[in-house]
Amino acid sequence: MKLRARYNYVNLVTTIVVLLFTGIVYYQAISWILTNQKDKDLKVEENEIFDYVNLNHHLPQTFESNDQQITFTSAPPGSVKREFINTMYFRKWDEDRQRRHHPRGMGKYEIGRALVSSVAVGDQFYKILIVESRVETEDLIRLIFTITIGVILLLLVVLLITNRFILNRLWQPFYNIMKELRLFRLADNRDIPKVDTNIDEFSELNAAVTDMAGRAKLDYTDLKIFTENASHELLTPIAVINSKLDSLIQTENFSERQSKLLTDLYDAVSRLNRLNQSLLLLAKIENRLLHEQAKINLKGLIEEKLNQFEEIFQEKNIKVKAILTDKEIHVNPYLAEVLLNNLVNNAIRHNYKNGEIVIGLTNEELVVQNTGDEPELNSKKIFTRFHKSSRSEGSGLGLTISKQICESHSFSLEYTFTGIYHTFTVKFSI
Amino acid sequence: MITRISQIVPDKIRYKNLCNYKNQFKSVIKICDPEFFQIASVPLVKIFALKLLIIEDEQGLRESIEDYFNGDGNICETAANFQTAVAKVSLYRYDCILLDITLPGGSGMAVLDTLKQNNYPDGVLIISAKNSLDDRLKGLNLGADDYLVKPFHLSELKARVSAIIRRKTFNGSNQLVFNEISIDLLAKEVKVGQLSVKLTRKEYALLLYFIANKGKVVSKNAIAEHLWGDGMDMADNFDFIYSHIKNIRKKLVEAGSRDYIQAAYGMGYKFS
Repeated sequence: MKLRARYNYVNLVTTIVVLLFTGIVYYQAISWILTNQKDKDLKVEENEIFDYVNLNHHLPQTFESNDQQITFTSAPPGSVKREFINTMYFRKWDEDRQRRHHPRGMGKYEIGRALVSSVAVGDQFYKILIVESRVETEDLIRLIFTITIGVILLLLVVLLITNRFILNRLWQPFYNIMKELRLFRLADNRDIPKVDTNIDEFSELNAAVTDMAGRAKLDYTDLKIFTENASHELLTPIAVINSKLDSLIQTENFSERQSKLLTDLYDAVSRLNRLNQSLLLLAKIENRLLHEQAKINLKGLIEEKLNQFEEIFQEKNIKVKAILTDKEIHVNPYLAEVLLNNLVNNAIRHNYKNGEIVIGLTNEELVVQNTGDEPELNSKKIFTRFHKSSRSEGSGLGLTISKQICESHSFSLEYTFTGIYHTFTVKFSI
Repeated sequence: MITRISQIVPDKIRYKNLCNYKNQFKSVIKICDPEFFQIASVPLVKIFALKLLIIEDEQGLRESIEDYFNGDGNICETAANFQTAVAKVSLYRYDCILLDITLPGGSGMAVLDTLKQNNYPDGVLIISAKNSLDDRLKGLNLGADDYLVKPFHLSELKARVSAIIRRKTFNGSNQLVFNEISIDLLAKEVKVGQLSVKLTRKEYALLLYFIANKGKVVSKNAIAEHLWGDGMDMADNFDFIYSHIKNIRKKLVEAGSRDYIQAAYGMGYKFS
């Protein structure tokens, strides 16, 4: 639900409730005042009757006007209780009016206010009924009700217009900030700009968002710098270990056991080194430190790679099929080589003896396919850091790096499995 | 006779100007035995016992390098900080300077600058932890001869240093001779005696690598990295190196060479 709709809804409900409530209160108050007024009139009338009876000792002549009827009926003493009542009374038409509008009938029933009272004339006891018309009161109340409804309708219209034209404009800074937030990327250099608004809430929101983005970026940069520095600092001790090992094997006479230990050490250091280089490379790609670009003939590069790996293909008896067309791309030369290395390395490492590697290069894409022991890989997980199959001897960073390289050049890297071939496809941006 | 020639070539001429030195050297050769040129090429490398300067602040690494290059009558001097490095570089000439970029007290690039501004002909091999193209280009543009990224194998370092010295001393047009094996570095031809040996590109590179590291045990890891580069990520499997070595051995021995390549305890190989 949009805030605007929600706000409208609440606004509308409260307005209607409040208006209805005031309407009722208003109605009650006015009808109370008017009834009081009527009652006073009735009392005056009653007093007049009492005065008349006191003075003349007989009942006044009953008369009837448009709005008022007085009737006397004899009643046993004490049977009449003095009270005001709402009642209906039969009102006769005026003579001329009757003739003109209501040829049939003598009048109509109307609502009225009545005072029931009693008077004693001599020893005779009478019940007095004074009725006054209440039609004007009802009319007034109806008018008030109409006005209330009118106000409600007017309010509805006003609210709609406000929402339509003013709220939208009012919330514009908010939508601008939202848009900026959506565009926000930690790795970007772009900052969240200041939104032009004189509404305090929005400028506060803007300030908070800008601040948060700044801090997030700072933390992210710190983290990246940390990774890079850590990898960098590791280089020296690795270099020392490496060189010491090289020196150590120059000293003669190793037992078989010792040489096995040394070989293992060599392998471990070499792995540590590659892992560290990979981390460093990843940090560099993410920090966009490798921005030099050059035009590379991919076909030539692939052929060179295949040449380089020739002995390994022979060793594993892997059949390599390369269908290459000329394709030039703008890339960082070093990264292009790393990408090819990773893809071909993977294709070899996860292959079996007498397996097959198919490399296809067209104007749109580069496809590296290989046969392998493993079932279909999880295409979501393989690109995450340090995800590797249990059999893999790699660092678990190769595909992450490949993906990052592709993304930094706005290529896409995808994995599919056709049942025979594990396939990695690099789609070039055109 | 050979030793004498190295003594006739005075230090000034030897280092002041490479071109001058070359001409001088040729004239010296002219007055010698006409057969001299054929037999003397490699011994010449030998008699110029290498004089190296290792500028590296990390003690462990510095000592390893010194250790590895000592022997063969080479002289290794070391500098652990910028000031010492600049002082030594200004006073003495070296065949090759191994230069670390990050030094306490200053940048290795400044040392390189000093060298080039004074037109010193010393070979310079930068050894740096920074593997960025920018740094590499900057170093090479400033006049370094090569750039090696840490961590490296000492055998790789030695091979690079040898290559630099070969280029500096003979201007790249040289025959490399090891006993009965002679290599034409320009034509990339290998001969045993007069018999030509057909080696593949990698076998040729491997042979050069072995000769540069003669008498040293070279680990399989170092060989794999040298031939296939960092991109080759096959730590678990060095079988293909074995078949390579087997091939070289076979070809050389068939051409009449002695079998110089020995397996060393399953860790690597030694050429001696």
